[in-house]
Amino acid sequence: MTKIHRRQLMMTTVGALALATLAGSAGFAPVQADEKLVTIGIELPLTGADADSATRIKNGAIMAIEDANTAGGAGGYKIAVTVLDSGTSTAGQYDPAQAATNAKKFVADPNVIAIVGPEMSGEGKAMTPILSAANLAAVTPSSTNPDITDPKFAALYKPNGKAIYFRTVTTDAYQGPNMANYMRDTLKVKSVYILDDSGAYGVGIADHYEAQAKKIGMNVMGHDQLDPKEADYTTIITKIKGLNPDAIYYGGVAQAGVKVAKQIYDIFPTVIKCGGDGMVDGGILSGVGFPAIEGWYVTQASPHVMDDAAMSDWVARYTKNYNMTPSDYAITAYDAVSVIVDSIKRVSASGQPVNRDTVRDAIQGTKIDTLQGPVSFDENGDMLNKVISVFEIHHDAGSAEDDVQHQYKYIGVAPESPTS
Amino acid sequence: MTYNDVLLQQVINGVSLGAMYSLLALGFTMVYGIIELINFAHFNVFMVGSFFSRWVLKLTGLVGQRVALTGFPLVGTLLLALVCVMLFCGLLGVAIERTVLRPLRNVPGTAAMITTIGVSYILFNVILLTQGADAKNFPNPMPVVVWKVSGADLRLREVLLWGISLLLMGGLHFFVRRTRLGKAMQATAQDQEAARMMGIEVDTVVMTTFFLGSALAGAAGLIFGLYYNFTSYVIGYTAGLRAFTAAVLGGIGSIPGAMVGGVLIGLIESLGGQLLATRWTDVIIFSILVIVLVLRPTGLFGRMIIRKS
Amino acid sequence: MTESAGAKARAGSAIGAQLRRIPAAQRRAAILTAVSVLLLAFPLIDRNGGDIDAAANACAFATLALGLNIVVGYAGLLDLGYAAFFAIGAYTYGALSSWQIQPQWSEFWEPFASLGLVARIHAEGVPDVVHMTVSFWLGMPICGVVAAIFGVLFGAPTLRLRGDYLAIVTLGFGEIVPIVARNWPYMTNGAIGLNGVAPPRLFGYSFGVESWPFYYLGLLMIAALIFISLRLQNSRVGRAWMAIREDEIAAAAMGINRVSLKLLAFAVGAAFGGMTGAFYVSKLQTATPDMFMFPVSVMILVMIVLGGMGSVYGVVLAAIILQLLQSWFLQDLTGWVHKLGHWVGSSWDVQLAQSISGWLQRVDLVQSIELIFGIILVTMMLFRRQGLIPATRPTPALTLEQQTAHASRGGFALPVRGIEPKKAEPQRAMIEIRKLTRRYGGIIAVKDLDIVVETNSIVALIGPNGSGKSTTFNLITGMDEPSSGKVFLLDQDITGLPAHLITQRGIARTFQNLRLFSNMTVRENILVAMHSRTTTGPLAAVLRTPRSRAEEREAEERAIEIIGAFGNRLLPRANQMVKELSYANRRRVEIARALASRPKVLLLDEPTAGMNPAETLELSDQIRSLRTMGLTVFLIEHKLNVVNDIADKIIVLDHGEKIAEGTAAQVHSNPQVLEAYLGRKAAHA
Repeated sequence: MTKIHRRQLMMTTVGALALATLAGSAGFAPVQADEKLVTIGIELPLTGADADSATRIKNGAIMAIEDANTAGGAGGYKIAVTVLDSGTSTAGQYDPAQAATNAKKFVADPNVIAIVGPEMSGEGKAMTPILSAANLAAVTPSSTNPDITDPKFAALYKPNGKAIYFRTVTTDAYQGPNMANYMRDTLKVKSVYILDDSGAYGVGIADHYEAQAKKIGMNVMGHDQLDPKEADYTTIITKIKGLNPDAIYYGGVAQAGVKVAKQIYDIFPTVIKCGGDGMVDGGILSGVGFPAIEGWYVTQASPHVMDDAAMSDWVARYTKNYNMTPSDYAITAYDAVSVIVDSIKRVSASGQPVNRDTVRDAIQGTKIDTLQGPVSFDENGDMLNKVISVFEIHHDAGSAEDDVQHQYKYIGVAPESPTS
Repeated sequence: MTYNDVLLQQVINGVSLGAMYSLLALGFTMVYGIIELINFAHFNVFMVGSFFSRWVLKLTGLVGQRVALTGFPLVGTLLLALVCVMLFCGLLGVAIERTVLRPLRNVPGTAAMITTIGVSYILFNVILLTQGADAKNFPNPMPVVVWKVSGADLRLREVLLWGISLLLMGGLHFFVRRTRLGKAMQATAQDQEAARMMGIEVDTVVMTTFFLGSALAGAAGLIFGLYYNFTSYVIGYTAGLRAFTAAVLGGIGSIPGAMVGGVLIGLIESLGGQLLATRWTDVIIFSILVIVLVLRPTGLFGRMIIRKS
Repeated sequence: MTESAGAKARAGSAIGAQLRRIPAAQRRAAILTAVSVLLLAFPLIDRNGGDIDAAANACAFATLALGLNIVVGYAGLLDLGYAAFFAIGAYTYGALSSWQIQPQWSEFWEPFASLGLVARIHAEGVPDVVHMTVSFWLGMPICGVVAAIFGVLFGAPTLRLRGDYLAIVTLGFGEIVPIVARNWPYMTNGAIGLNGVAPPRLFGYSFGVESWPFYYLGLLMIAALIFISLRLQNSRVGRAWMAIREDEIAAAAMGINRVSLKLLAFAVGAAFGGMTGAFYVSKLQTATPDMFMFPVSVMILVMIVLGGMGSVYGVVLAAIILQLLQSWFLQDLTGWVHKLGHWVGSSWDVQLAQSISGWLQRVDLVQSIELIFGIILVTMMLFRRQGLIPATRPTPALTLEQQTAHASRGGFALPVRGIEPKKAEPQRAMIEIRKLTRRYGGIIAVKDLDIVVETNSIVALIGPNGSGKSTTFNLITGMDEPSSGKVFLLDQDITGLPAHLITQRGIARTFQNLRLFSNMTVRENILVAMHSRTTTGPLAAVLRTPRSRAEEREAEERAIEIIGAFGNRLLPRANQMVKELSYANRRRVEIARALASRPKVLLLDEPTAGMNPAETLELSDQIRSLRTMGLTVFLIEHKLNVVNDIADKIIVLDHGEKIAEGTAAQVHSNPQVLEAYLGRKAAHA
């Protein structure tokens, strides 16, 4: 609220930096006193290449906040929301520098008591030192790079000692390796070629996959990085075809994923195709199209609940409200808000003041049932429940081609340890 | 697949890539030959071309991957799309030249080049903002026909790509060598002042050059879509840079040079990816660019540029 | 009503006049002070950490823009991969201070540890490792140096290329550097990004995650770089850069070593970028290769174009505007447009209004910023190439006394101390050409030419168009390389030397088509020509050492003296841009400029072209007085009366060959000459 008001004042003096700053300080409007209000910040790359997935996440979080307010708020507090965008044109996608700026904006706003986000681990690395200094907790629905919560880097990402980066997803440390287990045990894959899209997420998940695949005795025939802006991957796929592995594992997101899927279908359709949650995306389905995308095995770092009967009402509401189908990270975002709301309730019930410190401590002690199932955190902020779901893309003629919910068929859970 | 088959397959891939680069490189080389300008807008005229041809194909009722045409409908549809996209991109190129480049033609320094970067950015973002960032499915009306050459696959789309490219390059060669306007282009490239004094309308020549170069970029855009079955707002940048390298390698200003340079770059890309790693492809290609520029700035077929002092 | 409006207008114009009466320098100082105070006070006024952080980022981009301004604005080298140096600086500091590189501990590291550059990290169960802990204040200059070295490495093979090729090659380097960063995980942790880059510490206080120390550091960097930029701009080095930007060939003819000066520009620009990289990454504490891609380079270029190439303050202003546009204003504007759309949609319930409303509510100006960049580039190039704040260079005013110098009759008023050459032994040939030949493919421009230009004489080279006269000049001055044959200056072989070295040895020239630095003043043109006779380097220029100040003062005095030699023709116009001069005056500037390099021999290519008979006579007198002064003059001239009047010897070329040589009378009676000039029939008629 105050934010927008202040900005408008600033706008009246475009071009005169100094005047604008004066207006900035003068424009702080006091929060209305008759209603107790806390703010949850949402930090996502809503501009650029990540906009589509970020929007789905944002809607999940907003929906949860609206639901909470409809149900009377949290422990007597109404919940306001401040959305900040970490995508910039300079980066063309998420920009760690902008994420750091956003973190500081949240820290500067005393009403913000917790954050949902960020989407990307690259943002998380820039934000966590700032958030830790203010003891402001963030619950990320999708950032899966393990470094940030690794105790080895505790001095960097939680310098004040307390975990402030919680996840309602599991990390790449499980998603990739569990899929390797699944591929060996269930898909009977003996040899694999690994590709990633050079992005932080893609490289991370592919590296963890590779380590586990080697550990359980799969023959890793190669690991190559793709330039996501490149149009032509026929060279590398022809090279892979020459090596004739049982499977290809792709770690990465849609930009390169669409082309990888298309060109594998053209050149080497018989190979088993596997990927991470970056391949769960309506844009991939419509961009590649059937039958080329048929038969991909992909994972999600959360239990699959979308098809549960209880979820169908939620999915219908989401689809109606936002005119798009939810992604699983829309669910984890909803869950992230649920975690925060629950924590506020518990703090309020215990009679403590609702502030960043108490809310952080409450989040640490979370034990609730969310859409995805029970959620609680270890002392690093990672989710205790580490379920990796596996899906197969299978054409459902009765649904739209880019319907994420119906074109991905749930086929089971990837095991945390191999069967033999 | 034996190793030799893999290599053969990579050669087929490389030549296909190269054919596309050649078509794009022609636009660079022609414009540079006439007005000594590196036209960065060319990158994205190509990209816009592929979006435009996607739209034309959609209008004919082709969507997605599951409609295969054969015989006359196939040829007719492709021909229609080709003519439309070449006209559209040709006119787009002329429009760019007329509106923003002509006023700067006699301004020394880098003004014109910076302008083309600006135009390129505008085209790029207009497509990004109106069409979205995700890769778009490109209609594919071609039936799946595969010939086995030893152990390698030769598909209909490759043959078609080579055919269209050869036809267009042959047409361009004929135009430049045999027609009045073509000869005027040659003369202007040699010496603009002298050409003007001989009564050649330099403005017309420059416009024709932009039309032809951009039309070929449009054709490349269509071929790109048919070959890869997708298009996206980012395709112009990488392809454009490689095509430019091809033009330099062949000898900037030389039309046969652009053709040969394109195929060479395509082969370097595919065989380099096979023998080294694709992650280094850009590094290899830029190294070639630098090495050629430093050691042999005239390229393989470049004509001697007499310094005007 | 009208009366009061008129009064107001008068009052307004009076204030305007009063403002104008304040000298430009004072006005500038006042504005500068006001802006500085406001900038310094900003974090105290706006206490929001996010805003200060955004401002600190804007500072980083302003310093980047200042660095690129050296390369693009000063030296005119279009660098499309500037983000590469930003990246190199960032990763260098990352390597020096983060948790990325941790070699095993060994004796080797002891001395570094005692200096505090590294620390020994002990962990249970594994060998001890080295943790790099280089201080930011040491790391930042190191990053600048490393980036400068890369600037030279990138530049060296490419700077001989034409400007437009250079652009594409730099673009290539801009692509390659992030690729290498991505594929070199040992150094950079690849795409996942560096972990734990150390923030600066000052007197035991760590900047940590606070924004305001970075903001002030950023301001300090901007101030320092502005200072350096301005000092360089107005120095021997800066003038040489601008000369290269204006006309490379003429710059070489002024004795400027183009390659080394371009490399210097690249190195200085890269150093700015590298230091900014250290700043940026220490603030962010992490770095990923995605932060340094092509859009960053373009964004910085847009700042330069918007602010004005070469305009120091303009570039900083543009950088700040664009950064704030991006992080503050566009979001609000978008919100307003959406509200407008909503209002339109709820106000009129018709199809058109609904579709307009839908469109307005979808507009996202933040998303469109690259489109805005594109539009800025095109419109600025078409309508305001000089940028928002055009680069103006302060020029000290001339005293009245200097302005009242008189035009000289009968040649220059001798002595002109600033031009006079050392006396050469008269018996030696000043220039000797032996069997000089130049072929272009099948065409022979000059064939087996033998010419001797005697010391302290005036030799004229005449011949029909295309007979090879200008080619001969180009071959002598190193603008073109002979296919065979030799050129000697005072018995020393100068064949194939680069142009600037030949100028240093004492040959100066003018050009047939005038190659002045037209966006520089007359005075600056003259000063550029003294390049090879002065020594101030970049460091001395920035520090303004006593020596460099003395040198600069002397150069100024000499420049005024040389300009003064042309009397009222040039002196009152000393601080005018050359492009504003008349054609004849530009010819004079070219001659003055050639003289300023203190040549032994002056090569004049059609000096009287475009002059009326009176002016031609004046110039003839002046050329004669140059000989009196001790100079040797070798000239190409079409006006035979001039040649007959002043030349000691005339050489006639036809089809690249010498067909006659001798005094005016000898040459005019030569049948071959008549034939060449008038055609066979006329010769026999």
